[in-house]
Amino acid sequence: MSKKVIKARGRFSETAIDDEIVVMHLASGEFFSLTGTGRTLWLLIDGTRSRDAIVTAAAAQYGVEAADIVTDTDEFLAKLGAAGFLEAG
Amino acid sequence: MPLRPDSSPAEALLTRETQLRYGQVPAELDGVKVPEGGHFLSGSAYLLRADGLSFLYRKGEGITVERRPDADLSAQSLWLGGSVYAAIACINGFKPIHASAVAYQGQVTAFTGPSGAGKSTLIAALGQLGLPMFCDDTLVLDLSDPAQIICLPGHKRLKLTPAALAMTGAEGQEKVGAAIDKFYARPPGGEVGRPLPLGRLVFLEDGADLAAREITGAERFTRLTDDHYTETLFASARQLDRAAQFALQARLAQQIPMTRLTRPRDPAQFAASAQLAAKLVRNEEKST
Repeated sequence: MSKKVIKARGRFSETAIDDEIVVMHLASGEFFSLTGTGRTLWLLIDGTRSRDAIVTAAAAQYGVEAADIVTDTDEFLAKLGAAGFLEAG
Repeated sequence: MPLRPDSSPAEALLTRETQLRYGQVPAELDGVKVPEGGHFLSGSAYLLRADGLSFLYRKGEGITVERRPDADLSAQSLWLGGSVYAAIACINGFKPIHASAVAYQGQVTAFTGPSGAGKSTLIAALGQLGLPMFCDDTLVLDLSDPAQIICLPGHKRLKLTPAALAMTGAEGQEKVGAAIDKFYARPPGGEVGRPLPLGRLVFLEDGADLAAREITGAERFTRLTDDHYTETLFASARQLDRAAQFALQARLAQQIPMTRLTRPRDPAQFAASAQLAAKLVRNEEKST
């Protein structure tokens, strides 16, 4: 079973404004705006899902095959990890 | 400013805290020497020294003013209504923003933009269109009720350049100061002097075409970064960490509808831009 993807809760603040999510890295003060697929994936990272489960859930939401979005999901998770928004693991 | 019998606790607090007396004012605050032309906010106190005037505010004690014999009285009034008032508001938990505002049907529409954006001129023009002024230049927000943002009535008189007086037809009064090319003016639509909820924040921008556009999403959040001196005072007074600053900015972004009003700065098109602003205030304009 693959590991759950966990947000590094103490390292950021987030807020939803209309259909966007603004995330700020607390150490750097840098802002990120998440819309569309990025917003969907961010909301799916709720601490209960693995990377595979996130891909499956996102594919179901968009009505596509998991294979169609796995690369985008991996890239997004890699960016979140690099930005320090995910627990290492 | 005298208190109305039905003044809110916030108004009563600010009236009490801005009581003025004359006396000696030291040149330093909490061990920090403040040079002429400088100011310093430390916790619950504020010291400003400029134009031969020194102002010291301490929470619970009001303002002490020391004036050199040659100091300009008009400058005293400007400093008291400007930085000193803003610092006192910040120290007491209020948030001043750089905006002029009108009132309509129990709500405030505030117009913000950098100095010179035409906020006061627009307010005067809106007065001619029957919309009373709520404040000029600085809007003080009371954030104590999590459910709504309350605006406190303006504490500054309307100030207009000679060109703005001519353009708006507002009645000019005395000159603001010997070295300042502005005149106090009677707000053409009168004034509203009681706290009201903030209904909308309109960002004034220059542009080729006259247009109003709703600001949505993350832009509402990023738009709230203000380069006005009040922002620095608020940061010094509240000492908020990044998470708390974020939470405050998020609250403002979520609770305040925002619009961008773009208009040419051509005097020939000023009346049309004032008409569009009035429609926004009256919710008659469906912005895109």
